[in-house]
Amino acid sequence: MPKTFRHGTHTMTNAKADLLQGTLDMLILKALSLGPLHGYGIIQRIRRMSDEMLTVEQGALYPALYRIELKGWVSAKWGENETGRKAKFYKLTRAGQKQLRVEEESWDRLALVVAKMRAAT
Amino acid sequence: MKWFNVLAARLRALVRRDEVLNDIDEEMRAHIEMETEANRALGMTADEARLSAAKSFGNVGSMRDLAYEVKGGGFMETFWQDVRYSARMLIKHPGFALIAVFTITLGIGANTAIFSIVNAVLLRPFPYQQPEQLVMVGESTGGGGRNSVSYPNFVDWQHQNNVFDAVSVMRSNENYNLTGAGEPERLQGRLVSAGFFSLLGIKPLLGRDFLPEDDRAGAAPSVILSHAFWSRKFGNDASVVGRQITLNNQAYTVVGVAPADFQFGLDADVSVPIGLSAQRFSARGADPGVGVVARLKPNVSLQQAETETNLIYARLEQQYPESNTGRRATLTPLHEFFTGDVRQPLLILLGSVGLVLLIACANVANLLLVRASTRKREMSVRVALGASRGRVIRQLLTESLMLATIGAVLGTLLALWGMKFIAHQLPDGIPRLNEANVDLRVLVFTVGVSLVTGLLFGLAPALQASRLNLTDALKEGDRGSSGGKQRVRSVLVVGEVALTLTLLVGAGLLIQSFRRVLQVDPGFQPQNLLTMQISANNPDGHQVVGFFNQLQENVRGLPGVKAVAISNGLPLGVVNRPVFFIEGQPRPEKGKEPGGIRYTVSPDYFQTMGIELVKGRTFTTHDTPITPLTVVIDEALAQHFGNEDPIGKRLSQSSSRTPSYEIIGVVRHVEQDNLDGSAIRTPQFYLNFNQIPAERWPGSVRRVNLLTRTDVEPASLAATIRDQIARLNKDQAVFNVRTMDQIVSQSLASRRFSMLLLSAFAIVALALASIGIYGMLSYAVAQRTREIGLRMTLGAQAGTVLRLVIGQGMKLALAGVALGLVASLALTRTMKNLLFGVSATDPTTFVGIALLLSLVALLACWIPARRATKVDPIIALRYE
Repeated sequence: MPKTFRHGTHTMTNAKADLLQGTLDMLILKALSLGPLHGYGIIQRIRRMSDEMLTVEQGALYPALYRIELKGWVSAKWGENETGRKAKFYKLTRAGQKQLRVEEESWDRLALVVAKMRAAT
Repeated sequence: MKWFNVLAARLRALVRRDEVLNDIDEEMRAHIEMETEANRALGMTADEARLSAAKSFGNVGSMRDLAYEVKGGGFMETFWQDVRYSARMLIKHPGFALIAVFTITLGIGANTAIFSIVNAVLLRPFPYQQPEQLVMVGESTGGGGRNSVSYPNFVDWQHQNNVFDAVSVMRSNENYNLTGAGEPERLQGRLVSAGFFSLLGIKPLLGRDFLPEDDRAGAAPSVILSHAFWSRKFGNDASVVGRQITLNNQAYTVVGVAPADFQFGLDADVSVPIGLSAQRFSARGADPGVGVVARLKPNVSLQQAETETNLIYARLEQQYPESNTGRRATLTPLHEFFTGDVRQPLLILLGSVGLVLLIACANVANLLLVRASTRKREMSVRVALGASRGRVIRQLLTESLMLATIGAVLGTLLALWGMKFIAHQLPDGIPRLNEANVDLRVLVFTVGVSLVTGLLFGLAPALQASRLNLTDALKEGDRGSSGGKQRVRSVLVVGEVALTLTLLVGAGLLIQSFRRVLQVDPGFQPQNLLTMQISANNPDGHQVVGFFNQLQENVRGLPGVKAVAISNGLPLGVVNRPVFFIEGQPRPEKGKEPGGIRYTVSPDYFQTMGIELVKGRTFTTHDTPITPLTVVIDEALAQHFGNEDPIGKRLSQSSSRTPSYEIIGVVRHVEQDNLDGSAIRTPQFYLNFNQIPAERWPGSVRRVNLLTRTDVEPASLAATIRDQIARLNKDQAVFNVRTMDQIVSQSLASRRFSMLLLSAFAIVALALASIGIYGMLSYAVAQRTREIGLRMTLGAQAGTVLRLVIGQGMKLALAGVALGLVASLALTRTMKNLLFGVSATDPTTFVGIALLLSLVALLACWIPARRATKVDPIIALRYE
């Protein structure tokens, strides 16, 4: 697994960019599957979920988040965080839950294939 | 991605740009502040915490832009950016912009104008309830053709049929003298049956439709007013219903007022039940006949209805062999009945104006191509800086669509103005022309046409421009035109010339036809002849005869008057068309009797009209009701006698019961229906007014033409003659005051209209094509300056250079002419019906037009070629 995701760099080929973007999408969905969160919270949760191994460049979260919102996988609402600060909260929709399952399965398959290949050498 | 979300987001990003951006900003700021707080909690100083947070967030500006694009801002932003850029480019090259916009405006404007007329006349459904069920019924005899229906026949099958929901008589062009309400006035009337308005699905604005009890002989006279007449005469007074007005000296009760937009056939101020005058239509031979409109029952086809109706006609034939032998019903859909005549000319004009637009597109495409090559470096820079090919095409298409949009807006304005002008040129009686307007359908058409136009002239240049070789283009400025571009331009020029030739040939054929029509000898002299109509609806025949005799005498005495006559029936006007029999010849088969045209005239008619006497004599004052009945016939009727002399033979009309007339003279045939030659010359004969006993006038004469031949400008006498009429009878209405020249001119209006419009299109096309050739060649010369200079240094003469350049242009022009000739041969066939005295493939026209176009092309080549010979070799060589 790569240590850092960079997003939106033009030098990448499209296929590679899609792959990375898809990964970020899944991470966001996964983070939200435990409950609604604001953007900062999503970053924190991804970090915690990956035992601090995976750090997302924080700003890159937002374009990805908005894209997911347009796809209808998450819904957004302004609210207040635990310290009373105004923040936008994202919540997984039913479509988002379905999408998460699909992505997890495909990742599992990939992981399996990679594991087999490593075992073969 | 759900398209709706995307669209909504894009719209929001466009309309609420600041709000969307604020939203993003606020969210990102909140994020950074939360991180800062977390950092502070870890023990950092305030500055450290903020710095660290900003660092781990990354580049706020670029993330914000990226996020905004995701939220839909990008598409519209780019669009606006392109539009602004295009506008700047157009303003920077005003010459190009002006020519392009002018060309497109002309093309789109002309198309919009013609389409709006086509839309009003042909496409828009008639404003009646389910108009597709409405048909017009006519009668035909063995010879074919379509005549009006005999009223007694109508009454018979009105109730016997099972195929119509409703039927009604519709006879326009009836006269009513309105008296007792201010100035005496002649009104246009329409005879209808009970239920006429409900048949069409029209609810009267006030009052009611005619009931069956209104529509019979002896019923209390009733009338329905038109909206226009009601507002003019009664000032929209609703209490008019139930009141009485005096028409033809009889009191009519107003039972209703038609709605404002109601129109059916000729305009009529008043509608009157035909049953009141059933007596007048009681002859089963269809003179005078009536028009009939019917509504088909649902699920009954036109053919079914016609077959069924003709079963009834077969029964009538057995019952009334005298009048009904060979008589059959013909059904025509309402729409076809009213628009059949104008359909083809209008469609041809629409097609022609479409060709003009194509030529305009080709021209603008050419301009853009030339410009694209001067903008090559600009494009290269854009591509080098990372613009994709699609992005470049999009930019260029935005430019051409912008040109098309400007053209469309200006074109619509031009159309609104042009339509008034065109409508002015149009002949009367084109149905619903006054409704022509820019409605939704026309707007959709215009928008569609402009989009297609923009893509059409923009796509080729855009594709060309995007296909450039980056390194070459950046290295060299604008030297060395690519061969491909030159080829596209050549094809465009050839196409333009070909289309122009086709239009010119079409216009040429119409002009030729018009010239031939003007040369047709009408058989009378239309110059210096004033006509006006006077209705003779007075129950006292002696008064009427006295009035007309006195009137003719008074007018004859006026200065400037050479001759005066009265007539019932006028060339290019309304006439009676009875059948006739020649005594001593075998009676023709039933239904095959020859039809004739009957004029009833005063003795001076022939002299007044300028109709030449061929043989025998015309009427004199010695022919009176008590002397033997006489008739003057025309050459066409004289041919029915073969080699025998018709003078002294006898003629009778309609049926054997009517009296026969002695033929006393033969006159020239006159053109009755129009001047463009029905090849069939319907026999004509003239009866003498003076031989009609005064008692019979009220029944047989309803409308009289007063004809005055003058040796001054005829229109100048109109007021004086009106004055004479008023002096004799102050209640006498006078109408249709026109000179014969005007009548002739009106009869040619439709033909003139097609000719003028098509010629205008052809001239525009010619101008555009010339500009096209000129522009292309000018550019080519500019490109070859160096080469030409080199040739001249090496000793080429000016003549050689001239030939070289002209040759290049003329090769294309001649290819276009050849192609155009082939296309014209195929296309002019569609306008065969519009031509007169000239064939659709008239060699003179084809060759003449080809020569004309080649000559214009030569001129367009000449100017740039001359410029080429002026090239100074030294300067040309230093050019690089």
